[in-house]
Amino acid sequence: MADTTTTEAGGAAFEAAPGGNAAAGANVAAATGDSGDRPVKIIGIVCNWCSYAGADTAGVGRFRQPANVRLVRVPCTGRIDPLFALKAFEKGADGVLISGCHPGDCHYSEGNYYARRKFELLERLIHHLGIPKERFKWTWVSASEGQRWQKVVTDFVAGVEKLGPREGRAL
Amino acid sequence: MSRQDHIREFAAKALTEGRVDYFIGWKQGHNASEVVPAFVKEAAAVDQLVWNELCHHNLVTFLKRNMPDPAGAKIGVCVKGCDSRTLVALLQEELIDRDRLYVVGVPCDGIIDRRRLEKEFADEIVAVSCSDGRVSVATRKGNEKEFAKEEVLLDACTRCRYPNAVYADDVAGPPVPEPDRDGAKPDWSDVAGYESLSDDEKQATLEKVYSACVRCFACIHVCPVCVCWDKCVNRSRQPELVEQKVGTKQKLLFQMIHMFHVAGRCPSCGACDRACPVEIPLYLLHRKMNKEIYDMFGFEPGTKLDEKPVFQLFDVNDRFGD
Ligand code: SF4
Ligand code: SF4
Ligand code: FES
Repeated sequence: MADTTTTEAGGAAFEAAPGGNAAAGANVAAATGDSGDRPVKIIGIVCNWCSYAGADTAGVGRFRQPANVRLVRVPCTGRIDPLFALKAFEKGADGVLISGCHPGDCHYSEGNYYARRKFELLERLIHHLGIPKERFKWTWVSASEGQRWQKVVTDFVAGVEKLGPREGRAL
Repeated sequence: MSRQDHIREFAAKALTEGRVDYFIGWKQGHNASEVVPAFVKEAAAVDQLVWNELCHHNLVTFLKRNMPDPAGAKIGVCVKGCDSRTLVALLQEELIDRDRLYVVGVPCDGIIDRRRLEKEFADEIVAVSCSDGRVSVATRKGNEKEFAKEEVLLDACTRCRYPNAVYADDVAGPPVPEPDRDGAKPDWSDVAGYESLSDDEKQATLEKVYSACVRCFACIHVCPVCVCWDKCVNRSRQPELVEQKVGTKQKLLFQMIHMFHVAGRCPSCGACDRACPVEIPLYLLHRKMNKEIYDMFGFEPGTKLDEKPVFQLFDVNDRFGD
């Protein structure tokens, strides 16, 4: 097959990340896994009503937290297509964190009940893909849990940092 | 009376009585080694219908496409056990109209993996026949070989738990013995090899396997439960979620989307695997998803008409996550 991973080179600049780290995932052929010392990039997908507000609470409370997480705000975890997480990995994210209202607290009553079934399967699919489990997490953080947000983010980032940036992988 | 005779009789009756506008079954292909789908419109033409160990096509896939075409058409269709599960999956979601269907269940003893046979010969296979558990194969240059049927069955058949149709209006002959489903859990040992790989090996394996994909979309066209059709996220250019660019990234993303979209509806019938021109082991990958879903819910897709696919439901008592 002429069409191998090497045709991929240069195709993977992570557009979503401000700061233009064009090197990220740029050369899939060179699957070294060793990419030097750039900070890890994590995409956080959070629902508007709880976790986004929880992150805000953490900010207002001036809880120190790593700055590696770029948040994407969605109306509800029920809006999160598993494709979002896969797409983030495809685009070179080093980790994906998903969070929403605690079960029972969804602003739309049942969005997160549907979502957690999908997230569980997504997590299994991600492991099936060989993406280490430290790189994907889904959880619940309410609007008032600034401290919990701080802990979730700090722990998650630490886990991803231990593995380092992801380089040279297709997904 | 053979199963084939039953099928012909059911088809002739349904066509004569006007119960269906056309009947979908299988007929012989361009030579005696292949079977292709048949669309029979007149009772006089039912004799082309066949049933044998080569009838691998899952004909349910024509329902997802043809249900509205022509609008209001009544369709007869033959289903094996695995095919019937994809039909039930579509019915569970009300994606096809049961009242316009006439379903003939065909109890199945297992279908031959033609690809496996092809690997045994240097030239083209022109005839395959099966009797008493032996499969005889002849090639154009006159080579002949015999195989034990169990050795050349499709992988999907060796672990089949539903050899009889789970939903049918008529059944072509006596049912085949059912495996003990209550006593035994599904056997997932076929995916154990992949699961034992390290994360790095898994990634490298999938990248290697999927780099061969030519994105012909045969797998999703032939998949009976892949239903969005003209609204497929894989082909949407506005927004462009899966890039047009040809690379392993795009191919892998495309396949993972398909895996996810059919999760809970795909019974790993293997139709995608057989359609793939570059022999990507899609069957095994869908088996892996089925295993996870079974592990999460004890759910086997498309087995009960009164169930809904698990991802369309929730239970407040689900125990997932922290
Ligand atoms: S994904 Fe493949 S195995 Fe699953 S239902 Fe579709 S064709 Fe059958
Ligand atoms: S049938 Fe095979 S080559 Fe074609 S799109 Fe599907 S996986 Fe790719
Ligand atoms: S609104 Fe937060 S999970 Fe539904």
